[in-house]
Amino acid sequence: MASIKIENLSYTYPGADRPVLDHVDLEIMPGDFLAIVGNNGCGKSTLCKVLNGLIPHFISGDFQGRVLIDGQDTRQADVGVLARKVGYVYQDFENQIVRPTVLDDASYACLNYGMADYQARGRQALAQCGLQNRENEYIWQLSGGQTHLLALAGAVALGPDILILDEPIAQLDPGHADRIYGVLRELNEKYNKTILVIEHHTEYIADYCKHVLLLRDGRAAWYLPVRQALSRVEELQASNIFPPQVTLAAHALQAKGLLPAGGELPTTIGEGQQAFRSIPRPEYHRPCPPPARQPGQTVAEFQDVSVSYRSVKGEPHTVFHNLNLTLHKGENIALIGSNGAGKSTLMKLLVGLLRPTGGEILLGGQSLKEQKPEQIARKISLVYQNPEEMFIKDSIRDDIAYAMQVRQVENWQTRTEELLARFRLTDLADRDGRLLSGGQMRRASLAIGIALNPSLLLLDEPTANLDIATRKEILRTLNDMKAVTETVMIATHDMQLVCEWADRVVVLCGGSVVGDGTRDAVFGDRALTERVGIRPPEIFAMGRAVCEEALCYTVPEFVQLFGEGKRNAE
Amino acid sequence: MDAFQNKQVSQSQKLMVFVLTMSLYGLATLFTELIPKFQVGIVEFSVEYFLFIPLVLAMLFDPLSAALGAATGELVFSEIMLGQFGGLGELEKFLTVTIGVYIAGRLVRDPRNTKMVGVAAFVGTGAQLLMGTIVDICKVQFAVEDFEAVAGLPESVYATEGFAFLNDLIFSGILFCVLPTLFLVPRLYGKIEPLLGMNPRTKETSLGLFSAKTAAGCAVAFLCAVCAEMLASSGFELIDWEASWAESGTAMAVGMIVAAVVALAVLMVMRGKAQTAKVK
Amino acid sequence: MLNKLSESILDKFSMDFLRNQVLKNAYGNDDTLIAVRDPRVLLLWYLFFGLVPWFVNDIVFLLGCFVLVMITTLLARVAGLVLFLFALGVFSQTGYLLIVTLLFGGDASAILPLLVLTLKVTTVSLASVTVFSGLDPDRLSNGLMWYGCPERLSFSISYAYRMLPMLMEEFQNVLLSYRLRGNPPAHDSIPGKIRYLIYQVKVIVHSFYPLMLNTAKRSRTTVEALEIKGYRYAASSKEVRRMKLASLKISYDDLIFAAVSFLWVAVTMLLSSIL
Repeated sequence: MASIKIENLSYTYPGADRPVLDHVDLEIMPGDFLAIVGNNGCGKSTLCKVLNGLIPHFISGDFQGRVLIDGQDTRQADVGVLARKVGYVYQDFENQIVRPTVLDDASYACLNYGMADYQARGRQALAQCGLQNRENEYIWQLSGGQTHLLALAGAVALGPDILILDEPIAQLDPGHADRIYGVLRELNEKYNKTILVIEHHTEYIADYCKHVLLLRDGRAAWYLPVRQALSRVEELQASNIFPPQVTLAAHALQAKGLLPAGGELPTTIGEGQQAFRSIPRPEYHRPCPPPARQPGQTVAEFQDVSVSYRSVKGEPHTVFHNLNLTLHKGENIALIGSNGAGKSTLMKLLVGLLRPTGGEILLGGQSLKEQKPEQIARKISLVYQNPEEMFIKDSIRDDIAYAMQVRQVENWQTRTEELLARFRLTDLADRDGRLLSGGQMRRASLAIGIALNPSLLLLDEPTANLDIATRKEILRTLNDMKAVTETVMIATHDMQLVCEWADRVVVLCGGSVVGDGTRDAVFGDRALTERVGIRPPEIFAMGRAVCEEALCYTVPEFVQLFGEGKRNAE
Repeated sequence: MDAFQNKQVSQSQKLMVFVLTMSLYGLATLFTELIPKFQVGIVEFSVEYFLFIPLVLAMLFDPLSAALGAATGELVFSEIMLGQFGGLGELEKFLTVTIGVYIAGRLVRDPRNTKMVGVAAFVGTGAQLLMGTIVDICKVQFAVEDFEAVAGLPESVYATEGFAFLNDLIFSGILFCVLPTLFLVPRLYGKIEPLLGMNPRTKETSLGLFSAKTAAGCAVAFLCAVCAEMLASSGFELIDWEASWAESGTAMAVGMIVAAVVALAVLMVMRGKAQTAKVK
Repeated sequence: MLNKLSESILDKFSMDFLRNQVLKNAYGNDDTLIAVRDPRVLLLWYLFFGLVPWFVNDIVFLLGCFVLVMITTLLARVAGLVLFLFALGVFSQTGYLLIVTLLFGGDASAILPLLVLTLKVTTVSLASVTVFSGLDPDRLSNGLMWYGCPERLSFSISYAYRMLPMLMEEFQNVLLSYRLRGNPPAHDSIPGKIRYLIYQVKVIVHSFYPLMLNTAKRSRTTVEALEIKGYRYAASSKEVRRMKLASLKISYDDLIFAAVSFLWVAVTMLLSSIL
């Protein structure tokens, strides 16, 4: 019997004029590991809320059709009963955790439903999610990845057969993301849970999932085994889903006639190695490194900076120890390192939000200590990871204008309009920033960031929490922005962004700078990437797997390199 | 099914409003606790600077949930978290804040009507302040023995409390409650409700006029507040504590000491036994 | 004063510091003699030291109680900020009355009752600092629940501690936006300082606009998660309440703590009747 059966389901939110889900029919078998993909607003999250009974039990609206979980109609079942069948982890999972300690939160639901062995169940769930030995810790002591695992454990504790996760790895570095998916795979294989993930990272879908469901305009377009699904490159791209880079490369090579037409495309590096075996090796000449540019004038400088945080208990936690770094005018710097390596701390130091415990920070040749916040604001601008915190006014026009207006910048009105046009926001100018889509929010926050023409622009994770299509759009915007910005530093986990945008890469690890140079210097250094746990884009790894010397960072580069190989062989 | 379902929906929406108001107002009162009490001459500006937060939310959402959320938030964040819990007396604060916010929330039938919002905010704040003043005067009257006999004390208390009330109402009441409320309500209206999955309040969906029953409820709650405060800080004439103990004080105290020492000795021995048992 | 107030709001006042102090106060001292006491015993203890001093005017007795609660406060290793607030609170409750009485022509006869009042206020406040700051919030909320406080209050206490770090960070970021993008008036002269103060008050009021919207989003997820986790179910179930309270256990140490306090009170009573 199918564990989830949806019959002719239509649902409209209260006050909305058209249905989010429109006559959906679907059957999901027990033991599946299903990825749900689709455009923004295609009803993915709504579908998940239908499955755990939040709709229609707690969210009203027009509900037609039937949803059966294990043969039970969700409309007849109690939410408590459904919670024991379906576990749900939100995208903003930190708000889902309501208790202050780890074990307490994991066992909270079991306690509430009056299960006498609630603590044992909580412990078991924590063990299944890889959080054993952390039972008595407080929530704020956990990292982002661990917090997510805790939210998962809270859902697992009730022993549901179905687990639903809404974008589980959106905010995580690859190390933590692998850990989450490792746990999910174990839950799927060892404990026979049916797992549904909403996911845009198709590389992870290829590596871990069994099936893919494409939702389009509130309907289930198709439901296919993963490799077959990811091979439908055009159809996915039409829904703004980007298949793994390996698949895209194979697709392009297929179009060039280098791979046999028809059939399934490779989706993982392993499959890629198989598929690309037939392609002749290119004669690869490593391009001469571009002549070292004369570094420009110094914009900011860290001199032996040390920082430590007060901790709630015990010794202060040291983030930086004698960190030295110089930023020059005209550079586009990517700052990388795992979660907790101190990327955000470094940015907070530069804007004067944190004060170093030792050492000196110079901004524009002058010590930060001697400058007032207003002075600093004229030279430097920070765009937060969460754009919602950038919006302090009730329309994005006011938000963009605010800094210029209060400083009486000449022609601030025209400049605001220019910025709105440049970031394609003119039509949205009177809307509240928070109510925009992810990509629009991001563009608006970038416009706010450059409003004052800062000599140094800092961006914290500008592509986090975005689907791939929007990420590409932001990347394009960032490349466009190079024309108007002087020096930009981006802290990010997004290695595609690093490869396609940065001309200098700074690697943070263990409280100091461990790598600093061009992308070739950083990604070409295996020892460094392994030590720090950074992972170059998949296509880079693919290229090297086929040909050790190849350093290609984008799909077109890969296609050109290996496509050329063929011509050379002829 | 549908009626039941709607009830559940509105229950969970009420909980959302409660959680929202509690977090925000709690956070805000945490800061008020840290702002040094602001004294100009003899007048202390100790008004609830952030009362506009629950006022705004009570006007947009369910007034009672917002009012209770605000009072709970203050109790939890600023009293319990910072160890400033004043015992039974906190009940007074809890109830006056609840009543003030609730009245303001009920008065607004259409948040788009600015006049209505302004008047409601002023009335709500005024009610809260007035109740606080009455309680304060009673408190000093009971707490200081021979209140009437102390030269200059009654006059000073009436004068300062009365003046503080007027001053708070005009200065802080308008500056910190009415103006921010007028600023925030129109901006949030229609934007914040969908975030909680609700429809904005309109004339049709409001709770209707302020009934006699509601007023009576508020009055009873206020009486409770006064009583609580009196109990907390008054001389508690019912128990003539001092008198009984003055008569046979020494004997009773010695008796108590003996009892305490015996109890302690027994407990120590039992604890020792329990521990050795555990070790074995 | 104006100057001090304005500076304390945004400049010197570090949100990190505040957050750290509150958390430290709640969880950083969870192994002290006070923190491990049974909450029910401690609440009863508080009921005595929080109420009785109000009714007694005997200075020896009050001093005795004061010394005891001072010792327990020290044992609880309360965070500095809380002690500072305690001092501020005592001053604002009776200190100002003292000044006012003097202004209105009071004399020594008016001062003495006020001094007694101050001693009462101090004792009662320290007792509350001991119990409410010394106890771990979860134990506290369980204790309150045992005495029949509504479930929602005990939920609110734990939830508040869970939310506080997140809320503060968000508030901090919004304020930072104003600091980085705003242009505060120069504050060198007296009128400038007043303008600066007004500016800051305005910024704080305005910053609640984004905060309200952002927190609304959070509240929705939280409440939905609570519904799934059976919060409402638990609130009406006696069985669950019993299970939650099963973790409370009175040990010999708790009784010894109570007995020692009792002994102390008895001794002060003896002293007060002899003296």
